[in-house]
Amino acid sequence: MNTTGVIALAVALAVTLALGFLYKWRNGRVQAARKTTVELPERVQQILAASEGYKITLLQLSTTFCAPCRHTAAMLGQVAADTPEIRHVELDITDMPELATRLGVFRTPTTIAFDSLGRELLRVSGLPQLAQLRESLGTLLKSPGLA
Amino acid sequence: MPADPPVDPRGPRFAAWLTSLVLALVLLTGSWRLLAAQMLIFAMCAFISLQLNPYGQIYRRVVAPRLKPNSEREETAPLRFAQGVGFVFAAVGVAGYASGLTTLGIVATAFALAAALLNAAFGLCLGCEMFLLLRRFRTPAAQS
Repeated sequence: MNTTGVIALAVALAVTLALGFLYKWRNGRVQAARKTTVELPERVQQILAASEGYKITLLQLSTTFCAPCRHTAAMLGQVAADTPEIRHVELDITDMPELATRLGVFRTPTTIAFDSLGRELLRVSGLPQLAQLRESLGTLLKSPGLA
Repeated sequence: MPADPPVDPRGPRFAAWLTSLVLALVLLTGSWRLLAAQMLIFAMCAFISLQLNPYGQIYRRVVAPRLKPNSEREETAPLRFAQGVGFVFAAVGVAGYASGLTTLGIVATAFALAAALLNAAFGLCLGCEMFLLLRRFRTPAAQS
């Protein structure tokens, strides 16, 4: 037995458990909108311009090789199908790292909800926790301030 | 690099548990030979084919026939990338243990263990998440 190795094993296990539970807790949770002062990337502006008639656009940023992105797309597609005021758009950013940087997105899938004026309402990183997301979107749709 | 067909995501999870077990044994015994064997597996998966992974073979022959089949399939490119990351850590670990820099060997192995265990226990593939991050650094024009 190697004493240092045993200690390293204990530390690695403890750190892994802590990180793992933090990940489980954070992943897919609805987060408050980022305060962005910069202009939205042109590609995003185009998408939002095509969202006329919808109150909320769920912009899902994905990458090519990303299993949770596919699950997220199916889930958000269903949310949009159930709610006429909501549109879901998936954008593959594998070759647009600049866009990800400007939106402050570090991992995929990340979903950002925009109102019709292009203001960010909320964002979710990872496969969304569906019940929580539906509740947040429902509250937003009822709020009088929604443009 | 020939491409592998998409796989049942439960296979890599199973493999991650066995990888974690082997890396934990490396920490307990300090055996650089055992770590070298794991390094070889990482290398085969990353550079040749995931199908060479002996843990995956156990999964397909012993475990999968006892599970309900599912239609879910996962792309293999990020998995192979993650095996490549594992290979780098294992290689540093082997170099450390074998050359007498035992602390280096222990630290590198502990990092590899943490990554494998996060994947096995929580389904978090660190190597896969880094795939996007690395892409960003590979495009210098993007850093504006």
